[in-house]
Amino acid sequence: MTPILLMSLIIFLPTLGAFLLAWFDKKAEEAMRVFALAITIGTFFLTLQLYGVFDASKGLLTDGGENLGQLIVTEPWIPHWNIEYKLGVDGISMPLLLLTSFTCLLAMAASWSIKKQVKGYLILFLLLETGMLGVFLSLDFFLFYVFWEVMLLPMYFLIGVWGGPRKEYAAIKFFLYTLAGSVLMLIAMLMFYFDSDSLGNDRVFDLLRLAQLAKHADGLDPVLQQTAFVLLFIGFAIKLPAFPFHTWLPDAHVEAPTPISMILAGVLLKMGGYGIIRIAFPLCPYGAQWAAWALVAIGAFSIIYGAFAAMAQTDFKRLVAYSSVSHMGYVLIGMAVWAIHAETGELIGGDYWLMGINGAMFQMLAHGVSSAGMFFIVGVIYDRVHHRDLNKFGGLAGKMPLYTGLAAGIFFAGLGLPGLCGFIGEVFVVLSAWNYDKLLAIIAAAGVILTAGYILWAIQRVFLGPEYKGPHPEALSPMNGREIAIAVAVLFFAVLLGVYPMCMLGMMEPTLADLTKELQIGYENARDLIPVATEVLTEK
Amino acid sequence: MEGVGLNDYLLVGAVLFVAGVVCMATKRNAIGVLMGVELVLNGANVNFVAFAHYTSLGLDGQIVSLFVIVLAAAEAAVALAIALNFYNNHLTIDVDKANDLQG
Amino acid sequence: MSFETLTQEIDCTRETLKWLLTVAWLLPLFGFVVEVFGGYWGDRKCKYASYFAVFCIASGFICSSAAMIVWQDKTEWGERSAASSGHGAVAHAAAEHTEAVGNHEYQMPTSFTGSFYSLGKFGDLEVSLDYYIDSLTLVMFVMVTLIATCIHLFAIGYMRDELTDDYVDHQVHTSDGGHFHRPGRFYRFFSYMSLFSFSMLGLVLAGNIFQVFIFWELVGICSYLLIGFYVERKSASTAANKAFIMNRVGDFGFLIGLMVLWTYFGTFSFVTVDQTGQSDGGLFYMVRGHDGELQVDEEANAVTLHTNSEVPQQIPYYLLVVAGLGIFAGCIGKSAQFPLQTWLPDAMEGPTPVSALVHSATMVAAGVYLAGRFFPMFTPEVLLTIAYVGCITLFLAATIAVVATDIKRVLAYSTISQLGYMMLGIGVFGWGAGLFHLITHAFFKSLMFLASGSVIVGCHHEQEMPKMGGLWRKMPVTAFTMLIGVIAISGLAIPGSQLLFGEILAFSGFHSKDAIVASAMTFVSVNPVHFLLYIVPLVTAGITAFYMFRLWFYTFVGEPRDKEIHDHAQESPWIMILPLIVLSVFAAGVAVGGESGQLFKLLGDSEPIGVAAGTTDAGMIGLNLPGHAAIHQHHASAGVQALLVAFAGAVIAFLFYGARVVDPAEIKRNLGGLHNFLVEKWRFDELYDVMFVRPVHVIAAGCTWFDRTIIDGVLHGTVKIAIWMSGWHRRFDEGIVDGLVNLVGNSTFAFGRSLRVFQTGQLRQYIMFIAVGVLTLFVLLFIAFPK
Repeated sequence: MTPILLMSLIIFLPTLGAFLLAWFDKKAEEAMRVFALAITIGTFFLTLQLYGVFDASKGLLTDGGENLGQLIVTEPWIPHWNIEYKLGVDGISMPLLLLTSFTCLLAMAASWSIKKQVKGYLILFLLLETGMLGVFLSLDFFLFYVFWEVMLLPMYFLIGVWGGPRKEYAAIKFFLYTLAGSVLMLIAMLMFYFDSDSLGNDRVFDLLRLAQLAKHADGLDPVLQQTAFVLLFIGFAIKLPAFPFHTWLPDAHVEAPTPISMILAGVLLKMGGYGIIRIAFPLCPYGAQWAAWALVAIGAFSIIYGAFAAMAQTDFKRLVAYSSVSHMGYVLIGMAVWAIHAETGELIGGDYWLMGINGAMFQMLAHGVSSAGMFFIVGVIYDRVHHRDLNKFGGLAGKMPLYTGLAAGIFFAGLGLPGLCGFIGEVFVVLSAWNYDKLLAIIAAAGVILTAGYILWAIQRVFLGPEYKGPHPEALSPMNGREIAIAVAVLFFAVLLGVYPMCMLGMMEPTLADLTKELQIGYENARDLIPVATEVLTEK
Repeated sequence: MEGVGLNDYLLVGAVLFVAGVVCMATKRNAIGVLMGVELVLNGANVNFVAFAHYTSLGLDGQIVSLFVIVLAAAEAAVALAIALNFYNNHLTIDVDKANDLQG
Repeated sequence: MSFETLTQEIDCTRETLKWLLTVAWLLPLFGFVVEVFGGYWGDRKCKYASYFAVFCIASGFICSSAAMIVWQDKTEWGERSAASSGHGAVAHAAAEHTEAVGNHEYQMPTSFTGSFYSLGKFGDLEVSLDYYIDSLTLVMFVMVTLIATCIHLFAIGYMRDELTDDYVDHQVHTSDGGHFHRPGRFYRFFSYMSLFSFSMLGLVLAGNIFQVFIFWELVGICSYLLIGFYVERKSASTAANKAFIMNRVGDFGFLIGLMVLWTYFGTFSFVTVDQTGQSDGGLFYMVRGHDGELQVDEEANAVTLHTNSEVPQQIPYYLLVVAGLGIFAGCIGKSAQFPLQTWLPDAMEGPTPVSALVHSATMVAAGVYLAGRFFPMFTPEVLLTIAYVGCITLFLAATIAVVATDIKRVLAYSTISQLGYMMLGIGVFGWGAGLFHLITHAFFKSLMFLASGSVIVGCHHEQEMPKMGGLWRKMPVTAFTMLIGVIAISGLAIPGSQLLFGEILAFSGFHSKDAIVASAMTFVSVNPVHFLLYIVPLVTAGITAFYMFRLWFYTFVGEPRDKEIHDHAQESPWIMILPLIVLSVFAAGVAVGGESGQLFKLLGDSEPIGVAAGTTDAGMIGLNLPGHAAIHQHHASAGVQALLVAFAGAVIAFLFYGARVVDPAEIKRNLGGLHNFLVEKWRFDELYDVMFVRPVHVIAAGCTWFDRTIIDGVLHGTVKIAIWMSGWHRRFDEGIVDGLVNLVGNSTFAFGRSLRVFQTGQLRQYIMFIAVGVLTLFVLLFIAFPK
């Protein structure tokens, strides 16, 4: 299979599935579910095939990289504005693609609990998958933006129609927040487009060309980079989410149905991190370095803040949602620990920054696995007793021992226990942070105490104790085979990533090493421009 | 003293015209009004004929006045029919009562 | 021996040791997996899980012993310690040592390092799973596996009432007033125990500090699982949480230490050893080099590191202190030192075999082990901190132990106190003494815990000592083995026996504690300012003897206090007695020969370079650190003093509780305030509750409030403003834009309407209008165009 066919198929197989689903009889719910599951499985295998073709040693995608054997394909789309249908994978997107298709597979398997308007749900779900995969594959800013928006709408309906009691509020909140971010991104995108002819070439939306331009000494103006970075960062920070743009998350998570929560936590939050690392950083190296301290500070604050907020929750799902805020803080820190010499602009301890970015990427994957698992665990109990009040659980260890065992494993992964996935990402990020800023590193490290606090306290309230205190005690039946399979799959990957992190780090490291080098070159070139720019300003 | 000239005809026409107008304005009887109309028309006819005679209009004045006479006859027929109908409906031919088209 | 054959031999030895220890390490993990799955789907009444666990850990013991034999056989391990601890010639020890290295250029090293696999590689930085094998590793392996095997065996008997489908937990009440019923969890207990052993062994085998941290956390989670084994009991789950979170507080410090080390050293490995047995990298080498001295750059106030690179690498001195203190903070948490000691007594909620394991060979031992392992990285300032923390802890715990009445709690506090001794030993430069005590303590403390477990089972789960007494008639073996443990921990010996036998006849505790007291005494003699570091442990030695004998007299001697319990008490079955006997043999004899015995020599081989010689005026605070020779001089007098104090304690205990000539209740009444203060554990729990737990909850609530009120408030406010604005929008649309259009329409309409008045329907009027109009037009025409 040619790369373009393979990549296009990955993106549009779910759409095709959604289209075919439309012809199903409305009452054939079981058949539709099985069909949709088959589509997600097919997509997962296609990404695996892509993984087979993928060569990690080729490094970061670069302009003209297809000649170097990188997986890039280009077709003209709207030639008038130089918009291209450009797809590609490297060490940044490959792991996330695998994560996405895998999480979708699990979430689809968890969708048997959806009883209402199954057809519409499945169609929207598959469209959502198309959007997510498209975001991770597209290399043209315009295409990226289109997929980004494609993702938004199904999500809005999935929360708004299949959600809990306050679904309208949550859906609108999610929509408004995300749309605000999209608008900022759109502005930045147009800024880049209209400045992309600075070297006398045509204007482009091509991310690789733009990155090349940003690296070039006369490419993009430093001030433009700063402005654009702020716009892009806010846009992506909303998705991440980082304090103070995070309040859509608890509401959306609480109201969304379980599978959608899994997708939200498992994949959608990663888009923020991916956007920063794929777009914001390479397109504005100067802006990124300029804002690095703020990023690390926001990350550190999010960790502590999210952990504290999680501790105070009585809603099980809200607690998990806030834990996401806390965990994604590490992603932000890891990416931004870009220490430079204040006067010369030279990189200090570049390997630590590389480690930080690797840690951040790994943390995204780990969080994708563990938080999707945690939401699933909450969903299992919610399906049975229809409430999530932490103070009205207890004693589940006796009633549902297997469930408790799997849940404990997944929650410990979230807690950052060594041997499970959460540990590697967190610890690598924290270790790399001291090189950048001692105080913020210490603050970030303090998260380990709070995380242990709220997770163990939650476990104590839900699973331990003599008896179940809430309503519907008769409904506490053991997990069924499908649920066991999902939880075991999550736990398996949590252990695999925790014990052998090189399976992912090995894929990412060459790419990220290239990325740090490119960024540093871009920064130094832009930095050289700065005195010139100020002179011009003073002359005026 | 000259013979009867244009001015005398015009004077007669004017008298007829004014008499007709006054008749139209003062008579409440529809027949009277019609008679006023006839007077006005004939006043005009006098003028046409006079101008035809004293100026170089030729036969044009006479022809127009013939038209007017024919039209007046037709008009009188229609008007009388209206008056008759009006009377049938309202048992009067007082034009002041005929204000159905009032704005 | 030629270079090639030596290299081959080293490789061969390293691989042998590596695989033996790896098997010993991984077998319990395998056991865990098998037991946890097999047990879940298996029969609740079947004992296979325990047999499998015992098989795994016992095989581990055999492998470790084999490794120990291989190591002893292949290496010339005695040479270095013999060379460096020679009496009188200590000042030249370092010189001699280097000379020795020079002479035996091709010498078999006594430590072996290598790597399992890499966790992540970033440029020059690499995080990997390594192993580091030296005599300390081996001693710990043998000790841990031996004690764990004994405890596993004991637990087969102790946990036998879990072998049922319907276990009744008498301590848990359901809402309908009955007792709690559940299936037995025999298998699960053993699977946790296996995981625990695996974690501890991994920690000991670890070749870098990061790997230590990994297993450090795993040990923590295992203790969480085991302390909270009775998940239904609120007290148990709370204690488990407390243990884990307290440990995490320490780990926070640990993490800071790791960050500093990682940033300034770029490596985590302790030491890497090259083919010729010379260290050529790793943290210890970078800090200490080959001679054990810190290279302090006075001007930059930094320590210059030994590296092979051209560019000199430095670490600020204060950061080296921070790193040391950070790592030690981890040790504080794990070894329950002041101020994080409060979790350990609560950890008694777990089944007794767990307490035995936690308190002797694993978990708490890990802290001391790490402090010993990481010793080369500690600056004098850190050592002094360690010494004082140990000193405070040992006294504090001992005072609480005096008033505790729960048999397990007395032992728990004695553990904390003894750990304090070990820390003190390490802190006062008595490296060997501290670790020596770690090993001996592991044996006698596990012995005593198992004995207390035997008592508890015998008394049908009664733990309060005031309800016991006179039990030695009922359970003689338990009483006897317990007595061995008590004598060992108290540090009693037969005075004057060295005149007859050439050496003092005493159980293990005497030798190790004697070593610590001697180290402390020497330390104080060269640093008189820190006199408390000698006085407090000496006094506490007496207190230790007092409360331990109090425990024994209370439990086993005199008239039974509770007739019913006494009548039903019985000796435990052989499977519980056997481990007691084995352990009592080791508790008595493991330290035979004291500091010239095998064990101490073995440990001495791993002693960091430079400890033997000692230094003067070290660090920024100018501390004098005594070497072996100095300590040896004070040995005899320290031993006599410690022995006297211990005897005094034992005699007082006998008077109070054995002979009962003094009434303890009388004293309790007279010192009521103090007694309460001690019973309430110096009120640390209340203090922490007020200082940390409540503020955390307040902050947490504050964060939620902030989210809900401020951020969402801003959001909702924005939405409201938007709605309000759109209201005005609507008004503008409706008022201005629509108004204009309507105005045009309306005015046209109104104008038309105003014309209506002329449409009177009066025919005659119309004619008047026409006439007047025409006239007017004419008049106007004439005015406008007058000819």
